[in-house]
Amino acid sequence: MPEEIREDDAGAMGESYYLNMGPQHPSMHGVLRLKLRLLGEEIQDAEPVIGYAHRAHEKMAENRIWPMFLPNTSRVDYLSGMIYNLAYCQAIEKMLDIEVPERAQYIRVIVSELNRISSHLLWIATYVMDIGGVTPFLYLWDDREIILDIMDRVTGSRLTYCYGRFGGVTMDVDDLFCEQTSAFLDRLVGRMVEYDKLVRKNVIFIQRSKGVGVIDADTCRQYGVTGPSLRAAGVAYDVRRAEPYGIYDRFDFEVPTLTEGDCLARYDVRVREIEEASKIIRQALRDLPGGLVMPEKPKKKFKPSPGETYFAVESARGHFGMYLVSDGSETPFKIKLRTPSFSNLAAMPKVLRGTMVADTIAIVGSIDIVLPEIDR
Amino acid sequence: MRAVRAVFVGLWSLLVGLAITIKHFGRTTILRKKVTEQYPHEKPVMSKAYRSAIKLIRFDETNSHDCVGCKACERICPSFCISVDGDKVDGIRKKRATHFEMDFALCSLCGLCIDACPTDTLEYSKLYEEVGYTRHWKHDLLKDFNAYEAQFVAEQRAREEAEAAEKARAAEEKKAAAAAAKAAKAAEAAKAAEPGAEPVADPAADAAAEEKKKKIEAAMAAKAARLAAKAAATPAPEES
Repeated sequence: MPEEIREDDAGAMGESYYLNMGPQHPSMHGVLRLKLRLLGEEIQDAEPVIGYAHRAHEKMAENRIWPMFLPNTSRVDYLSGMIYNLAYCQAIEKMLDIEVPERAQYIRVIVSELNRISSHLLWIATYVMDIGGVTPFLYLWDDREIILDIMDRVTGSRLTYCYGRFGGVTMDVDDLFCEQTSAFLDRLVGRMVEYDKLVRKNVIFIQRSKGVGVIDADTCRQYGVTGPSLRAAGVAYDVRRAEPYGIYDRFDFEVPTLTEGDCLARYDVRVREIEEASKIIRQALRDLPGGLVMPEKPKKKFKPSPGETYFAVESARGHFGMYLVSDGSETPFKIKLRTPSFSNLAAMPKVLRGTMVADTIAIVGSIDIVLPEIDR
Repeated sequence: MRAVRAVFVGLWSLLVGLAITIKHFGRTTILRKKVTEQYPHEKPVMSKAYRSAIKLIRFDETNSHDCVGCKACERICPSFCISVDGDKVDGIRKKRATHFEMDFALCSLCGLCIDACPTDTLEYSKLYEEVGYTRHWKHDLLKDFNAYEAQFVAEQRAREEAEAAEKARAAEEKKAAAAAAKAAKAAEAAKAAEPGAEPVADPAADAAAEEKKKKIEAAMAAKAARLAAKAAATPAPEES
């Protein structure tokens, strides 16, 4: 750099430049494209460009009868598909006042929380990989594989479940499922201690994430950031606690909250959420009642009375809402999905401003975005 | 001093992490704990819930499927990958499927067709080695049944004829019984019409009514017990 151009006024002299990150960047979590305006290595402005994985799920719903949207739901967010699938079932049940058997309710909680654990494990694995640690990735996927096997035995699929039906679930669980699940939870306790030593206490990991990408509570409120990112900023908001759906009011669990709001706090919140989810699963397994999971065949065709239904669940990424509008016909008039990743990503330009380009991956990765969920 | 301490703490954290890595490394290399399945040599066992392409169930009583070609599965399929046709067969009450094809490449394995089937003749197959040799390769679900179709039709015709004969015989008997009852009643009425005679209740008829009532009660109790047993027993998804 010539001596007369100082770093301070480089921007004024047109020295800032644009950098495209993605959509095919290996750490960009799918197909996110970030347009960064840089001054040296400092980010002056960031603009997320989305839409590369748009599959028109909401439009698809309008052209088919209500049950035909079921397989789409788990493909909106493929990492916690079960939660989304069951959210749609529960929304329809709320709309039509369908009674769900007790056993099915408990099974739904167990599989949802297993799905949440698998999603968080995957996030930890990929996040550590994003900021340079390859080894934990392999161990965490090993754990996640067990969850997928357990779920595979019951639901018949590993990732994109279509397990829920209006008024129950497709398949009952057996004793082996309960045994395998508790064995997995026991194993996970020891493994989490190991990851704590391997990742959380690692000096490189701490330096890459501590104090980086702080999202304060006000920013979260402005942009509608929910989920672990919000709880890491000190707001104890969890849909399972704020407006309990299903049978979540029967379980004893905490909403882990930290105040720092940086990447490290988001990591800690997720780790503690895995513990809370384990707690919920243990309670559900203990109380699992007998009975049928699907008393009668699910309805094929039905015409809900005209009106609106909103149903929200806590997905692994935050507040997921389903807004169903019926005009009294066999097909939905509109299904709007309020996906948490979209709102979480919306706060990124504000958070990224003023940070270093090397931290971009650490910050964007830490809010756990799933692009197909944003684009839908 | 603080800088020196930070260096040692950081170094220690790296060593702790390295120790864990070495532990895992030893577990897989020295103890030879294999986690992978040697696929072509070891075939996996598919769970009961495993979802592959749908197939028609072969029922033991008829040794054939029960598909009537109603197109319920075709209509509910979100991927539009099923095509069914059915036709009337002489001498058989129900229609029979004449064409049942499924494009597995489009299938999203949601299972809505299985729920929709009115005759419960669809289920998931356990195929996992899905290889097609052409691009537009489709599953023909009737392939295994076509050879038996003529035999099934003949047997079904015989069954239905027998049923019809049985029904006719029952109707005939009922008619005869009704006629006999009518005659008896007429006789009773004639007897009652005689002056001075008291109308007597038939003790045999009373006993029969009592017995019938008892039978119904017993059947209801049995049904309740059966339902309770069904609810208590957990239908376990066993490994197949």
